Amino acid sequence: MAGIEFSEETRQQAERIGSPDIVVGVAGPVTPDELRSRAQSVLGLLGPTFSSLRFVFAWPSPAAEAPAASLAADQPAALTFFPFSFPAHAAGELWAGVSAQQRAVLGLASQLNARCCIVLGPDLAALQPHPLQLFAYAVLERQCGLVMPLYNTGKYDGLINNGILAPLGRALYGRRIRFPLAFDFAASGAMCARMARIESHQNNHGGTSLLWPATVAATQSSQTAVGQAHLDVRHQVASGGLDLSAVLAQIVGSLFQEMESCAAHWQRVRGSQPVPVWGAAPAEPPDGETVDTRPMLDSFLLGSRNLDEVWRLVLPPNTLLELRRLTKLAPEEFRMPDELWAGIVYDFALAYRLRTLSRAHVLGALTPLYLGWVASYIREVSTLSHADAELRLEQLARAWEEKKPYLLSRWRWPDRFNP
Amino acid sequence: MWNQVKQSLQSSMGRAMESLARLLPGILAFIVALLLFLFIGWILAWVVRRILAAVGFDQRMSRSAPTMADWSPRLTPSQLVGRVVFWCFFTAGVMVGVSAFEAGSTEHVVSGWILAYVPHIIGAAVLLLAGNVLARYVSRSVLIAGVNLNLSYARLLSIGVRWMILVLTGAMVLDHLDLGSNIVELGFGILFGGIVLSLALAVGLGSRDLVSRSLEREASRVVEEQQPERIHHF
Repeated sequence: MAGIEFSEETRQQAERIGSPDIVVGVAGPVTPDELRSRAQSVLGLLGPTFSSLRFVFAWPSPAAEAPAASLAADQPAALTFFPFSFPAHAAGELWAGVSAQQRAVLGLASQLNARCCIVLGPDLAALQPHPLQLFAYAVLERQCGLVMPLYNTGKYDGLINNGILAPLGRALYGRRIRFPLAFDFAASGAMCARMARIESHQNNHGGTSLLWPATVAATQSSQTAVGQAHLDVRHQVASGGLDLSAVLAQIVGSLFQEMESCAAHWQRVRGSQPVPVWGAAPAEPPDGETVDTRPMLDSFLLGSRNLDEVWRLVLPPNTLLELRRLTKLAPEEFRMPDELWAGIVYDFALAYRLRTLSRAHVLGALTPLYLGWVASYIREVSTLSHADAELRLEQLARAWEEKKPYLLSRWRWPDRFNP
Repeated sequence: MWNQVKQSLQSSMGRAMESLARLLPGILAFIVALLLFLFIGWILAWVVRRILAAVGFDQRMSRSAPTMADWSPRLTPSQLVGRVVFWCFFTAGVMVGVSAFEAGSTEHVVSGWILAYVPHIIGAAVLLLAGNVLARYVSRSVLIAGVNLNLSYARLLSIGVRWMILVLTGAMVLDHLDLGSNIVELGFGILFGGIVLSLALAVGLGSRDLVSRSLEREASRVVEEQQPERIHHF
C-alpha cells in the first residue's frame, strides 16, 4: 500500500489506465508538450523488444492544472500520458523537492501495479533510448530490484557525492553504489511499493528527509538485487543561487538521520561487495581547466581560526591536532589524509546522533572541513587522468571501510569518549 | 565607669545571644524543611525520569518538538523535565522553610516580604537562564553562518551579538527584581544607545573606506561567480 495520498481523481484515472509494464515518471515540473514529443520519438527508437510493452509517462502537476490522462494521439494504447495531482514544492529546497516527487512517482507506479518504474530528472536529460533500454532490461530481464545510474561525470563534478555520500553509503551498507542519491534510477514493482511506503518527515533542523533508494534496498530487503547502469547523461544543476552550507546540511543531515534509523542494520555489515553493472562505459569526459583551490583553502583556514570552540565539542584531540597541523602547511603541500576525513565525518555523524550541540550547528560547522577536503582532493587529482581519479576515489572508499570499526565502537559506547 | 561599660557590654551581648537563640529554632526549621524537600524532589525527579524513559518520551519529543533539543542539546527532554520537577520542589522547600522560620519567630513582616519576593526571584532566574541559552545559541549560529559566508569578522560579530543579548537579559533581570529600576533603565539605555551610535559613527565615518573596499570586493566577487563553474558540488 503506497504511503503517498493521491487525489480521488488520480486514483480513478489510475484504475482506468490499468497495469502498465513500465511507468516512466518525471520527478519534477516538466513542459507537457516537450515531454510528449520526446517520449514518442524515444519510444520509436527503442526497438522491437519493447514494442509489446505498455508505457505510462507520468509527471506531477499542481492540482489546478492536472488534465485527464490521455492516450497519445497517434499511438496505440501502449502509450499513455498521465499528469497526476501533486503539490508543487517550495523553491530553494533542491533535493527535498526532487525526493518528494520521486516518492510520488514511485507511489503512482505502485498504485498502477507496474512491473518497472523508471524515475527521471525533471530536465529529461536521461529521456533517451539507451538509458531506458538499460533500465528496463536490468529490471525486467535480469530481475534487478533497483538500478542506480553510473553518470559520466568529470573529476570535479559531484564532489559531495565523491567525498561523503558514496564512501559513507558503501562503508555502512556494504554495496558499492557510485551515486546513491541520483536524479534517475529504476525500480521493480515490489521496490516501488517499499519506497513509496517510507514517509517523508521533517528532520530536526527543519529540512525534509530525502529518499535514499540504495539504503531502502539494503535495509528493507537485503535480498533485493541492486545494480548500476552506465548513463551518458549529465545533469546541469543550477547551483549559482544555492547556498552550499544549506544544501550540504540538507543532504548530509538526511544521510545522518538515515544512519540513525538504520543503525541496527549497518552495524552488522562488514566490508563491501561490487554490484552488477550494465551498459558500456562511455568515453571519458574532457578534463576541465585547472581549478584554483585557494578560496576553498581560505574557507577551511577561516573555519579553523573561528570554529575551534565548536569543533572541540565534536572532534577528538588527535583529530584537532591533525587539523592544526594542516593549517600550517603551504597551499601546494596541503593534503587531507583519507583516514582523517573519514574520521571527521564519522565524528560529525556521532555528534548529530548524540546532540552534542544543536544539529543545525553540527551540520553548519562541517562546511569548512568539507571545503578543506575538496581543496585537498582537487589538488591531488588535477594532474591525474579520469581513470586515475576514479582509482583515487576507490582508495578513499576503502579508507572509509577500514575506519568503520572506529565508528562502531563510538556508536555503541559513546560515553567512553567525551571531548 | 569601667564596670558600667562592662555591664553594658554584657547586657548587649546577652540580648544579642537571646535574639539569636530565638531565631535559631526558626533557622533550623528552615534548613530541615529545605533539606526534606530537596530529598523528596531528588527522589521524584529520578522517578519521573525513569517513567518518561519507559514511555519513550524523548523519542516522541524529538519528533514533535525538535527545537527543544536544539536549544538545550546536552539534556534530553526527560532530563529537562526531571530538573524542572527538582527545582519546583526546591522552591516549595524554600517557601515552606520561610513559613517554618516565621512560625518560630515573632517577626511576621520578614516572612511576608520574602514570600512576596520569591516569584520575582523565580522569574528573574528563568529570565537569566533563558537569556544565557539564547545568547549561546544565537552567538554560535552567527559565528557558524559568518564563517560559512567567509566573513573575516565572524567571531567579532558573534561576540557582539552574545554580549548584546546578555546585557539585555541582565537589564531585564534587574528590572524584574526591582533593583535600582531607574538607574538600570537609564544605564541600559545609555549603554545600548551608545553601542548603536558608536557602530553608526564607525560605519558612517571611521570605516567609510573599509566598507567601500568591502563592498567593492563583494561586487567583484559577484562578477566572478557569473563565470561558468569549474567545480560542481552536486
